[in-house]
Amino acid sequence: MIERWQSVAVFLAALLAGLHLPAHAGEVLDAVKARNELRCGVSEGIAGFSEQDAGGRWHGLDADFCRAVAAAVLGDPDKVRFVPLKASTRFPALLSRKIDLLVRNTTWTLTREALLKVQFPGVLFYDGQGFLVAKSSGVNSITDLNGATVCVEKGTTHEQNLIDYFAARGLTVKPLVIDSSARVAEAFFAGRCRAYTSDASQLAAVLAHSPGGARGFAILPERISKEPLGPVVQGGDAEWDTLVRWVLYSLIAAEEQGVTRANIDAIARTSQGAAWRLASGKDERLAQALGVRRDWVVRAVKAVGNYGEMYERNLGRDSPLNIERGLNRLWTQGGLLYSPPLD
Amino acid sequence: MTDLQIYLTLAVFAAVIVAIAFDLIDMAVAALLGVGAMLTLGILNNDDLIAAARSAGGPLALLFGGMVVAHVLGKTGVFERVGQHFLHATRGSGKRYLLLLILLVAPTCALLPNATTVILLAPVIISVARALKVDFVGPMILTAIVSNAAGMLTLVGDPATFLVGSSIGMSFVQYLQKVSLAGLLAVLVVIPLLPWLMPQIWNARVELPPAAAATRIDRPAFVALTLAILALMVGLFLFGENLPTRIVPPAVAIIAASLALLLVYRVHIEPIDDAFQAIDWKTLVFLGAIFCLVEGFIKTGLLQGLSLKLYGWFGTEYALVALALLAGIGVLSSLLANIPVVAAALVMTKGYLVAAEAVPEIALGAGFSDWPAHTLPVFIAMMFGATLGGNATLIGASANIVSAGICAKQGERITFVRFLRFGLPITLAQLAVATLYVIAMVWFAS
Repeated sequence: MIERWQSVAVFLAALLAGLHLPAHAGEVLDAVKARNELRCGVSEGIAGFSEQDAGGRWHGLDADFCRAVAAAVLGDPDKVRFVPLKASTRFPALLSRKIDLLVRNTTWTLTREALLKVQFPGVLFYDGQGFLVAKSSGVNSITDLNGATVCVEKGTTHEQNLIDYFAARGLTVKPLVIDSSARVAEAFFAGRCRAYTSDASQLAAVLAHSPGGARGFAILPERISKEPLGPVVQGGDAEWDTLVRWVLYSLIAAEEQGVTRANIDAIARTSQGAAWRLASGKDERLAQALGVRRDWVVRAVKAVGNYGEMYERNLGRDSPLNIERGLNRLWTQGGLLYSPPLD
Repeated sequence: MTDLQIYLTLAVFAAVIVAIAFDLIDMAVAALLGVGAMLTLGILNNDDLIAAARSAGGPLALLFGGMVVAHVLGKTGVFERVGQHFLHATRGSGKRYLLLLILLVAPTCALLPNATTVILLAPVIISVARALKVDFVGPMILTAIVSNAAGMLTLVGDPATFLVGSSIGMSFVQYLQKVSLAGLLAVLVVIPLLPWLMPQIWNARVELPPAAAATRIDRPAFVALTLAILALMVGLFLFGENLPTRIVPPAVAIIAASLALLLVYRVHIEPIDDAFQAIDWKTLVFLGAIFCLVEGFIKTGLLQGLSLKLYGWFGTEYALVALALLAGIGVLSSLLANIPVVAAALVMTKGYLVAAEAVPEIALGAGFSDWPAHTLPVFIAMMFGATLGGNATLIGASANIVSAGICAKQGERITFVRFLRFGLPITLAQLAVATLYVIAMVWFAS
């Protein structure tokens, strides 16, 4: 009896109503073009990734990637509407189509792809979960946190990682789960917990804004998880997934080929080599297949620079965070960044 | 979809509703014009039409099959026989007629799809009304409304209730414990309204002639085979999904219709063309057009996008969210087919509960069943709104449209306003009962 409605229900609910279930191929790209605006879901403010300055302009690696996609699709990096989202509202926003693209420090996991029917086109930043502690606490390693209270943000993968890591080593921990990253930081600096656990990059951002300066605090060297952070799109729209993925790869490929914001025009005037092919935007057929203008790579690189430029400006040596590139170096330099051929 | 397209979609939809409500043009023509406008404006494309066709395929197959089987059954004289028994049971009282109608329709809907029930029972209900010398339009509307409300009696009574229940991992027994009473109340609350809504029928008394001899059956083999097809259809509705090759209800309807038509052809009851002409194609086309319009509305994303708004408006006040959903989904379901509305509302509700951090993000995916007790009233309120809201208007549920189509074939046209005169008071009463039920649930959960 119970099963007798299953097919009707599944048909009517899943296949038929459409809704948060797979979008039509090309649907998001068509909608972005028709709207002439990319709606990009970002954080409510994480230094280095997505935060607004006093003038209301968004900065950070995530914000720049949104601009690169807008430049590739619409020809203008400023045609982005940034939608600030709490961690808990990011997937409802994506699945209900309030945003076209989610670029909000989101870890690529099987659970998210399989259960939520979303797709991660690639990794924008290789991160790992670390611990921020006060130097005066005497904590030098994670084992020193046995039995301690640790602040963690609700709705992230960090809480479970924390519990799993300590349990696997026979250690105990008391997670203090708090609503938003800003409140977690407040709780930590108010002394409500002995450590603050999150992505190391996020901890670096918190450290840069710590009251009384960064000198009194430290990020422990250990990492307890892999956190490949990347953009997210709704499942079922292979064309949009492909386009976002190749915008990311084109930024990495630009760095591989030495193509920068400054030299891309000069390289385009030459007539040989892979760098020229990347910069010239001559492949009309490829652009047509992707549904974008033929100079989409040029526009993306001109908008935000290559991956390395984007990284250093927002997270690396040109930013207050000064985070080592580490795993985010090119594969040729010992990192994990690797772009398949754009040919 | 651009903002302009969203406004155009709403405008087209509103124009169709207004045209039907004020009887400006024929409702099927209005709906088709609406679809044409959406196609012309680029709101609906080929993919959307395919999605709408998939969406409408199941319900339309159920209706088509029900119409064919009912037509062939009509040739057997079985309706006359059942009608005679029904008439005898009324003892000439309009009040008994209406009460027996509810008693007949409600349990039947626990077994058969709502609109199919209306199609199969309509000949009996109309023939008894005629024998009692009362207007059959009211009873036919009542049949549709009771069939919709009775769908809440069990988890499997209606695709919309099944959709919500199954998506939150509610078992058949849990549904009986938590929701069925509300379904029963929604049916029972109709009774005190009947003397006011249908006074002429309620107060009707006619002297019945002595029970006539049972109608003679001219072709016993044909009757036996037709009843066998009916039994097969009911049997497959109940157990078809448990067979090694799963047979879903729409497929059951098509199989039964095919066998019935084969029987008509082989026994030479009538030309097959006549059998096809007996199908209410206008109702089928109208429903198909409505599904296309709903596809356009759902595509706006307005309903799904309310998840974050709900969180912004109500925070974690789940009781308020439940009541807002009961009212909001109730109103929407009165104007749109309730199944796509429920599907969209599920996305909205799950998104709200994730945004409110009542559940983890994996609750957005299929198979999550660990819903905290205090979130259940939110889902159940949505279920009530979707199921009962459809009773308010002519276009709120397929059973209503089918009922109007049958009446039209009998020479009685049911306009939007005529249906509203019965549907709106009953729906308001049912939603009031549902509201009290949800408040009680919240109170017990807290």
